[in-house]
Amino acid sequence: MASKELEENLSELQIGGNGEKKPVENDMPEGEVKVSCFTEDLQDVTLHFQIVKFSKQIYAWIGCNSAKLGHLYAAATTRPNNNVSVTSLLGGTSDNTGSSIARRIVLKTGLNVVVACNIPKDSPMLEATAERKLIERLASLRYFSPKEKHRN
Amino acid sequence: MEMSSNNLSPTEFPVLHKSFSLNIKGNKTDIVICKYNDSFMVMATQIGCMGTILHARKEESVSTDPTFHVAVIFGKRDEPFLVACARQLIEHISSYGSTRPLVLSLGLKDHSPGTMKEIIYAVMENRLW
Repeated sequence: MASKELEENLSELQIGGNGEKKPVENDMPEGEVKVSCFTEDLQDVTLHFQIVKFSKQIYAWIGCNSAKLGHLYAAATTRPNNNVSVTSLLGGTSDNTGSSIARRIVLKTGLNVVVACNIPKDSPMLEATAERKLIERLASLRYFSPKEKHRN
Repeated sequence: MEMSSNNLSPTEFPVLHKSFSLNIKGNKTDIVICKYNDSFMVMATQIGCMGTILHARKEESVSTDPTFHVAVIFGKRDEPFLVACARQLIEHISSYGSTRPLVLSLGLKDHSPGTMKEIIYAVMENRLW
């Protein structure tokens, strides 16, 4: 099954497989978990963000006006060639907002991510804004280094 | 078993969360519990990532006792104690009167019943339901 392959590939990444570049991690001791929450007020919507940083993965939640969990997606670079794969875990399908956000976060940062997002469908501007804010925060928290990101 | 760094998020942010760390059989275990409007999220990790993710929900019918549905949505599907852990937690949530589903992520070095029990106790003690 695709999800099992994804999991195997992810676990290979963690062991540090073929000497590929990994995203830069914070100078934290192994196993230190950090939770960051912030809110962005836009003209007509309020976006809430929650970022949980594990040493080898990031969990991010994006809330649009509400505190519902929304749809859950997992995304990471996978073999071969470090192409980005994304899978829907809870609710949603491959063409929903959260999945493209998850995919682009991995493309830009090389991080292994799980994203929960309740942004409504067909709101490309909102989606783009949310993604930009999230990546800005990930960069400012130094969870990845823009120079060392994975290239497809 | 030792606990450290217990944090409650400020009330302005709509999602309440608690994160803490404890030692289970020599493995440092980080636990984060989040309360969303429509569900609970519990993440317990010893390996630096979320590991296996499970979804547990309560199915209530009018005349019979509630039943629970637990499924692995990502990761190991052959570890029965992970499912048992989710099952125990959703029942606990239900016993406190909440019908919200639970998303549980367990990234563990060992899947023994002893570890599961410690995690369950720690989560119950720090519950947000």
